[in-house]
Amino acid sequence: MGTPALKAPRRRDPDPGVFAWAGPVLLHVQAVMGTMVSFEIRIGDAEAKAAHVALARACSRLERADAVFSTWKPNSPMSLLRRGEMTLGEAPAEMAEVLELCKVARELSGGCFDPWAMPGGIDPTGLVKGWAADRALGELRAAGVRAATVNAGGDLASFGGPGPGWPWRIGVRDPRAESALACVVESPGAVATSGCYERGPHVIDPATGCPGTRCASATVTGPELWLADALATGLVVAGEAGLALIEAVEAYEGCVISDAGSIAMTGSFPVAT
Amino acid sequence: MRRTPIVLAGTAAGLAAVLGFHTESLGTNVVATPSGSSSGASTGKSTTTTTGSSSSPGRVSSSASTTTTTTGTTGTRTALGADVQYRYGDLELQVTVTGSRITNVEPVVDTAYDPRSSQINSYAEPLLVSETIEAQSAAINGVSGATFTSQAYVQSLQAALDKLGIK
Repeated sequence: MGTPALKAPRRRDPDPGVFAWAGPVLLHVQAVMGTMVSFEIRIGDAEAKAAHVALARACSRLERADAVFSTWKPNSPMSLLRRGEMTLGEAPAEMAEVLELCKVARELSGGCFDPWAMPGGIDPTGLVKGWAADRALGELRAAGVRAATVNAGGDLASFGGPGPGWPWRIGVRDPRAESALACVVESPGAVATSGCYERGPHVIDPATGCPGTRCASATVTGPELWLADALATGLVVAGEAGLALIEAVEAYEGCVISDAGSIAMTGSFPVAT
Repeated sequence: MRRTPIVLAGTAAGLAAVLGFHTESLGTNVVATPSGSSSGASTGKSTTTTTGSSSSPGRVSSSASTTTTTTGTTGTRTALGADVQYRYGDLELQVTVTGSRITNVEPVVDTAYDPRSSQINSYAEPLLVSETIEAQSAAINGVSGATFTSQAYVQSLQAALDKLGIK
């Protein structure tokens, strides 16, 4: 096998290869929600034990979200709700919370993200992973750690950065080119990418109820991952035309990579230099 | 020349970069404690610590949720990762480390079950390899956008790192 070059821009000043924050780093990978969720925690001045406890709580949040919202587990409250075997009133409290957020995301996306238009019944999957990662990150924040990232299968929630004044730098995978990143963004808290470049179309166009996308991949950044995740799901359906919708959502930015490989982005998309 | 913590930060970024879908239980904890001491990653002679990988489909030999601190081992060593059978193929990696820095990752078994998966692997794996090695410079802290192959990759990689005592 050759040695392909990773086409990530190199940051020269300050050198991000140097730990700026003193104190240990805690790394963890958890298989949950049908994906791999990885944590990188700069513990800082927090007690190491507190960080470990927070990590365990964060993982519990993810497991809980999986148990409640999985559409693959036949007896999850989500599956029961979809089959009409459970009412919203009978479901765990977070069900109503998530569905409210889904309504917000549906409106903000102009209907391009619509869990109610999915074949097989309501499906909030495009928002739940981000929502769960937000909550996992909240546990780490509450524990007083200096900085952390939660990468839920390619959708990232973060706070702080690897060093003082340095943002977390997240590569956006190039959906077309081999061994390349399309760009690098400085995370404002959430970076979500939706695409169908690996296994064919799996994103449903709410307008038709069928698989359909108008670009190769879409990335949305913003303060919170639940909305970035949902908007990215909508944006990959809408394509470049959907950028106007993202532009209208305060503090959220979007980037669309076309099937031909061209990149279009909103005005303040946080591309790293 | 890099200090130990930097190396581990790189490993972290590498792992963060290789996320995938649908796996059995895999929990791995790593703690990197900056030691402040500076050990040059000089290329020593090659010592191979290879153990036969007893493979079971979708499983990794590493146990769940292990927590470790850094070790100051130097020299170049190689280990085979777990032979991971995933949804679309079969992957086994050979990992070379110098000191505690990953210097090479190479598939020794790479069988895709169909042409489409083979095609995907042909570009996904070089990307993952380069991410693992290059991310050690910590130019990026993670990758947005996921792959299927990457899950098998991270499992086999982790198993190899476990054998080498590198977390």
